[in-house]
Amino acid sequence: MIEISSDVIRGYNDTMILFILLDEPSYGYEISKRIRALSEDKYIIKETTLYSAFTRMEKNGYVESYAQSAENGKKRTYYRITELGKQYYMEKCAEWNLTKEVVEKFIRGDK
Amino acid sequence: MDTIKNYLETMFANLPNTVEVKKAKDELYSMMEDKYTELINEGKTENEAVGTVISEFGNLDELAESLGIDKVVSEAVDSDTRVLCQEEVIDYIRDVTRQRFTVGLGVMLCCFAMVGPILFSTIGDMIGREGIVGIGVILMFLLAAAGVGMFIFSSVMMSQWKFLQKEPCAIDFSTAEYLAREKEDNAILRGSILTIGIIICVLSIIPVIAFSTIFGETFPFLTEGIGPSMIFICAGVGVLLIIFSGAKDAAYDKLLSLNDIKTMAGDFEPVKKARKNYVNEYAKDFMSMYWKIVLCIYLIISFSSFNWGSSWLIWPIAGIIRKPLGRILTGNREGGETK
Repeated sequence: MIEISSDVIRGYNDTMILFILLDEPSYGYEISKRIRALSEDKYIIKETTLYSAFTRMEKNGYVESYAQSAENGKKRTYYRITELGKQYYMEKCAEWNLTKEVVEKFIRGDK
Repeated sequence: MDTIKNYLETMFANLPNTVEVKKAKDELYSMMEDKYTELINEGKTENEAVGTVISEFGNLDELAESLGIDKVVSEAVDSDTRVLCQEEVIDYIRDVTRQRFTVGLGVMLCCFAMVGPILFSTIGDMIGREGIVGIGVILMFLLAAAGVGMFIFSSVMMSQWKFLQKEPCAIDFSTAEYLAREKEDNAILRGSILTIGIIICVLSIIPVIAFSTIFGETFPFLTEGIGPSMIFICAGVGVLLIIFSGAKDAAYDKLLSLNDIKTMAGDFEPVKKARKNYVNEYAKDFMSMYWKIVLCIYLIISFSSFNWGSSWLIWPIAGIIRKPLGRILTGNREGGETK
């Protein structure tokens, strides 16, 4: 089975996370669950990847974190997207469209 | 869930003990816990759930940058800290217990030594040959020598563990948990032995009082010989029990204090609980030598005043003031950071 190469996807982990945060603030596991669901189980983001993306994006001001207790009383760190984050997300989308367009030109289905 | 906690703690053990690292660990743990709970709710077995969570954890190298520790992850690999395995830990506890018991026996023999002159001088008085006390004195020196021999032997017993002082050593998370559990399980036994030891010491005075009130001057062998001898015999046995009672705890505490506070290993829950943050190095040294100091005071007072009948009171008194004294010297900080 073909798996996604982590080298390729690395530049777009942020995009996926921001996409999910566009709807509403969320926390670690829920984000990873939604990425998995949206990718139809084709991409499972690792915990360490997720966490390093959070800290990096928080440092860059794309997301903000805050603590909130869940229904069962468990305290979780929630992340919310900022204006800067939305802007960054749009840039990444444009970048991807360009990337896709370029790479597409070199892809042949047959041999 | 224990396996996951264990895995995470082991992964983090060599990382520096900083706010960022701690936050990362908590955050990752929270995510893993969520995932684990959901997998279990989906009907997965414990093993499957743990396997999935761990295989999807990722790689710590990825975190280096966000933790502000670009290099530590690779440094940690060739760190020269020696991690004790569970067998070594069990051996160490056994050896410390034996060593303490030997020291206790030594003290007991030294106490018993005093019986020689007492007994033989009363026998001498009874049969009218005072010279016989010489046998008692010889007996005293023999027993004292045997006692001192025990002390020397006890320090040899621990020679294979000298490296604990010299090299940086650490225990892993599951060992720390194991020690904390053992310590808790041992608490009742330890308390019982200590209490019996103290009671025997306190009761050591009873035979003298009993014999002299019951028999008066009629049986000098009992009132002047057996009675006073019983003080030393009881005190010896009592002190042996008192010393032995704390043996295992001393080993547990020593092992739990191995982990460097600068690394995450120093932040394991059981390690944090066992750590005493003394106000300064002197306080720490003083508390570690506490019982030796008390023993010295006891022997000095007893031998200079020859008031053995009441000098033993120093033991229960020292036992009682140790806790509050320790609390004062730790500055009332409960497992806090020293940084």
